[in-house]
Amino acid sequence: MNRETKALPLVAAVFITFIFTAPIIWMVMAAFKTVVDIYAVPPVWVPDFTYLENFKVLLSDNWPFLLNSLIVTVGATVLSLALALPAAFGLVYFQFRSQNFLADWILSTRMMPPIAAAVPLYMVFNGFGMLDTIPALIIVYAGFNLPFAIWVAMSFFRNIPREIIEAARVEGCSWVQTFRLVALPLAKSGIATVATFVFIFAWNELLLALFLTTREARTFPVVISSFSTVTRTYWELISAATIIQILPPVIFTIIMQRHIVSGLTMGAVKH
Amino acid sequence: MGEIVLKDVHKAFGDVSVLRDIDLEIADGEFVVFVGPSGCGKSTLLRMITGLETVTSGHVLIDGKDVTHTKPSSRGLAMVFQSYALFPHISVRDNIGFGLRIAGLPLAEIADKVAKASAILGLDALLDRKPRELSGGQQQRVAIGRAIVREPAAFLFDEPLSNLDAALRVQMRIELVRLHERLATTMIYVTHDQVEAMTMADRIVVLEGGDVQQFATPIELYDRPVNKFVAGFIGSPKMNFLGADATADGKVQVRNGPLLSISDLDTARVTGPLTVGIRPEHITYSHDTGDLKGTIVVEEQLGSDAFLYVEVEKIGMITVRAVGERNFHSHQTVYLTLPPQRCHVFDQADLRINMN
Ligand SMILES: Nc1ncnc2c1ncn2[C@@H]1O[C@H](COP(=O)(O)OP(=O)(O)OP(=O)(O)O)[C@@H](O)[C@H]1O
Ligand SMILES: [Mg+2]
Repeated sequence: MNRETKALPLVAAVFITFIFTAPIIWMVMAAFKTVVDIYAVPPVWVPDFTYLENFKVLLSDNWPFLLNSLIVTVGATVLSLALALPAAFGLVYFQFRSQNFLADWILSTRMMPPIAAAVPLYMVFNGFGMLDTIPALIIVYAGFNLPFAIWVAMSFFRNIPREIIEAARVEGCSWVQTFRLVALPLAKSGIATVATFVFIFAWNELLLALFLTTREARTFPVVISSFSTVTRTYWELISAATIIQILPPVIFTIIMQRHIVSGLTMGAVKH
Repeated sequence: MGEIVLKDVHKAFGDVSVLRDIDLEIADGEFVVFVGPSGCGKSTLLRMITGLETVTSGHVLIDGKDVTHTKPSSRGLAMVFQSYALFPHISVRDNIGFGLRIAGLPLAEIADKVAKASAILGLDALLDRKPRELSGGQQQRVAIGRAIVREPAAFLFDEPLSNLDAALRVQMRIELVRLHERLATTMIYVTHDQVEAMTMADRIVVLEGGDVQQFATPIELYDRPVNKFVAGFIGSPKMNFLGADATADGKVQVRNGPLLSISDLDTARVTGPLTVGIRPEHITYSHDTGDLKGTIVVEEQLGSDAFLYVEVEKIGMITVRAVGERNFHSHQTVYLTLPPQRCHVFDQADLRINMN
């Protein structure tokens, strides 16, 4: 290849990347601008990054909702792992009738769009007096992610050589010990993968949170959406909030990345 | 103690019956080998003894106790798998001590037993490594170590040496036999390698197509195979089989070959078409005289032995094992003689009709 043909894909890549990141870049800029600068024509290209007023205003009023988001997300992630991992283990290793049917049925529940469940869920939680509570959101988010989490976890358990599980059993392990001492440590990357997906789902979920919360239990995405009102859209607050919203998944993914990469490609090649 | 008894055991996967009418009594301290061609049900039988596979009907007894429905963890057996099945996330030391930890032994005692086992198996320098940092042979030793520390009622091995190279296989074979002598614990060993079976076993179970063909000592299998399958399976190269017919006076006429008068036959059963079996090492051969005339098609010279593949007109290929022989070569004519006292005779149902 000569120099030009090598440069061409690179230029294209940079261009495409730019298109995809432009809104984020623009938003990051806006977060550090005053309202006047945001609407200025011609635009203020480079803002003053020491201008933190937007963040201060945002957080002074809304930090409890950020905390809500964090609790709901961590809670949902932990709860769905706590349910999905044993369920997947049982579906893979226990022999019982309609084993495959049960697994398929679990996955099929994921085919329903979340919005279809919104009204029934509203009524159920209303009945329990749990509207606008954090536990309600944790349960719903964990529940929505269970099918997916179970399926991913199943594929990881299936990838553990059967003889290793059998060895544990012959060595005297009960099923619980086999799960805890052998299967879980060997499915670590699977757990990281599932955790990451649930985390991102729960952190970013808006629709159900809009339905199920009104004041106290509002999550951060709900708060962000409230910055767009009939009379005015608070771009400076939306921008600042969005940066905060983006950060945790990015950090979480970076921490988990090593495991996820091996997780997503596991089983792709024959060993 | 480790007496293992199988009573009328059957196994089916769905509608497919894979083992039938299995009755075996394995004495405490015995080294028993299950041998047979691929797919004959050896692993399944072993796994039913460990409890990893359910028994469709029949009973499994360990030391007189019916364990047919007992879970694997409560049977007090140890198993060494073909893939070794070491726990990849823990060290060699923890692998060996795993079962003891599960059993809740005090740490000091575990350390003591692990040290003893690792000394026996020469693993001392490797105790802090992870399994993936070991060679195949070393992993195999760890798997054996994990089995012996628990002082189980019996050791079960499923083709434990098949992933090793030939030299290491011979070495491990000897180590296992010595280990058995030292521990005097019941061992059940699955293999499809008849050399392993013959050299290691006190008694061998020959399986084929889900049935036990014969359960006997190695020498018994070699000298007195109950049927044509066992006769052909045990021994290398394989026994030669020749078509024959019974004569009116109770002799055996090899078709297109010699008339054999074999003294030890069950005379009542010498009727109709028969098969004569003779091992390659029992055929006598000569440059100039014999019962059958043939041409050496291939000569395989091993130094210690020469295997001569002889094409005999109207009979077919006959294999001859000529110990230390250097003077017979491809394309030469050779005369073969079948010593009657070395001949096995099988009836139409392929059962051996020699009396001894
Ligand atoms: N889980 C299973 N479901 C259905 N059929 C099975 C199952 N496990 C084994 N079989 C069948 O049972 C028969 C015996 O299998 P088994 O693994 O015991 O054979 P084997 O003698 O150990 O063979 P190999 O020497 O190849 O290991 C085979 O025909 C096999 O296809
Ligand atoms: Mg097998």
